[in-house]
Amino acid sequence: MDQEAAQLEKQHVHDVYESTAPFFSDLQSKAWPRVRQFLQEQRPGSLVADIGCGTGKYLKVNSQVHTLGCDHCGPLVEIARNRGCEVMVCDNLNLPFRDQGFDTIISIGVIHHFSTKQRRIRAIKEMARVLAPGGQLMIYVWAMEQKHRHFERQDVLVPWNRALCSPAFPEPSQSGRTRQGGHAERNHPYHSPCSECSYSVCFKERGDSKQSHNTGHYMARTCCANISKEGEEENRFYNTLGKSFRSWFFSRSLDESFLRKQVDRGRPLSNPGWADNTVSVQPSRHSSLDLGRCEPMSTQGQTLDEEVFEEPATQTNVQRLRAPGAQNHRGGHRGGTGGNGEGPGGPESRVGAGSLEEGHPPAGTRLRKSSTAGSTESIPEGTIPVAPRQREALDASSFMRYYHVFREGELCGLLTEHVAELRILSAGNDHGNWCLIAEKRGTD
Amino acid sequence: MKLLTHNLLSSHVRGVGPRGFPLRLQASEVRVNPVEFNPDFVARMIPKVEWSALLEAAETLHLTEVPSAPAEGYERDEEFLRKMHHVLLEVDVLEGTLQCPESGRLFPISRGIPNMLLNDEETET
Repeated sequence: MDQEAAQLEKQHVHDVYESTAPFFSDLQSKAWPRVRQFLQEQRPGSLVADIGCGTGKYLKVNSQVHTLGCDHCGPLVEIARNRGCEVMVCDNLNLPFRDQGFDTIISIGVIHHFSTKQRRIRAIKEMARVLAPGGQLMIYVWAMEQKHRHFERQDVLVPWNRALCSPAFPEPSQSGRTRQGGHAERNHPYHSPCSECSYSVCFKERGDSKQSHNTGHYMARTCCANISKEGEEENRFYNTLGKSFRSWFFSRSLDESFLRKQVDRGRPLSNPGWADNTVSVQPSRHSSLDLGRCEPMSTQGQTLDEEVFEEPATQTNVQRLRAPGAQNHRGGHRGGTGGNGEGPGGPESRVGAGSLEEGHPPAGTRLRKSSTAGSTESIPEGTIPVAPRQREALDASSFMRYYHVFREGELCGLLTEHVAELRILSAGNDHGNWCLIAEKRGTD
Repeated sequence: MKLLTHNLLSSHVRGVGPRGFPLRLQASEVRVNPVEFNPDFVARMIPKVEWSALLEAAETLHLTEVPSAPAEGYERDEEFLRKMHHVLLEVDVLEGTLQCPESGRLFPISRGIPNMLLNDEETET
């Protein structure tokens, strides 16, 4: 199990961050205010570790403390180094530090990348080990409960479509006109508003958004504009669509039982490309978008395992792909992770995460869809055809990141049940993340 | 890599435990980065330093400023604090290795960044 977990994390965490690191170099990602506050409250002269520091956005928040940034991803750490930070490459599960060396540790958007409970516990225990008695640890993890979207499962693969986020890699099939919403600023695609509809590509709301592992969840949403208007031919439409909406949907739920089943079957766990048959596709339950020649997808029930996101019922916008009538998310939680934490029904909530009203382009191979745990052999009806050319582009440009999103109480539960050396001081929800501050017991 | 960082590092090769500290430093390229001197900051760091490990590393780098132990009243000894500031925060190992004293395992330092990742066989899990 642990080996499979490590392999999953290698493919869907480490390799993805290493591959996508070059796109982060100019990203002015914003630090979470409460994390900043926590760091600024630390006593002057404190030794601070940022475990999972990414490009180092928290490393210079407080000049009165000495902060060491650590990350598994060499390329990200190089970026932090080039900004003048003291950093190193290491593994959260085996921290190369002597016991009790640090006064303060932060773990912001990190342990949700561990694919088993045991590994998550170990990561926390390692941080507790290197924390001095009386020292404080702050942890942020992505919450399953989100305001504008709904995770169907806790273990998910979230795609990040490089094509959306990098102006350095223009898609040959796209004209400038259809380029994903106004990447007006090079290297800051996350903040560029779409020229057509003024909704941002990716995360305009990133200013308030949680960013996992510093650089964020690049859930490749996009806005309406490049889909609709000009009456593009089917292929171009689909191609554009393919690089935006479709990649958003290709998230597969993954959980430990699935891992175990794979192990039992002796099957290799991971797939080199998402086009392989185990990547599931968000089925369409409604056809809210008339694509002309395209036919609506066959509808599927709500119960398919691979439905990762469901859209709450919000207003219909014919230019958007969405799933009207999806169940509403239980209220009480702020904002979406990596998304709209503050705004009223922000743009990304209307992006059709819950639906996939894609038609059938004239030609194409079929992407097989498969369910996850329990029925991996079946190929349900309703497949998403992909033209071979497009499929290759998607293969090359999509990355899937694994997350275990936390339920309310789960993070605290891990500490109280398994990490006795830590005492929880405070806990809550911040911008779609469960967070806590804990103290190492044993103060003299 | 600063010497303050080195002072925190320990080998986590399986079975090594506390015998993995301190890592033996070897440096082929070292640089000095000026860092703004903050006496209070340095004074607060001193009690957190594992002194013999620091001495060993300083000797390796031919830094002779480090006394065998902090003297009484070191908090107000500006000369001492300036020396420690230099040794802990301004000396920067760009290229070199860190060696586990127990297992002999070498960890590289490249472009100022130590890489402490282990292979699967070497890890505790």
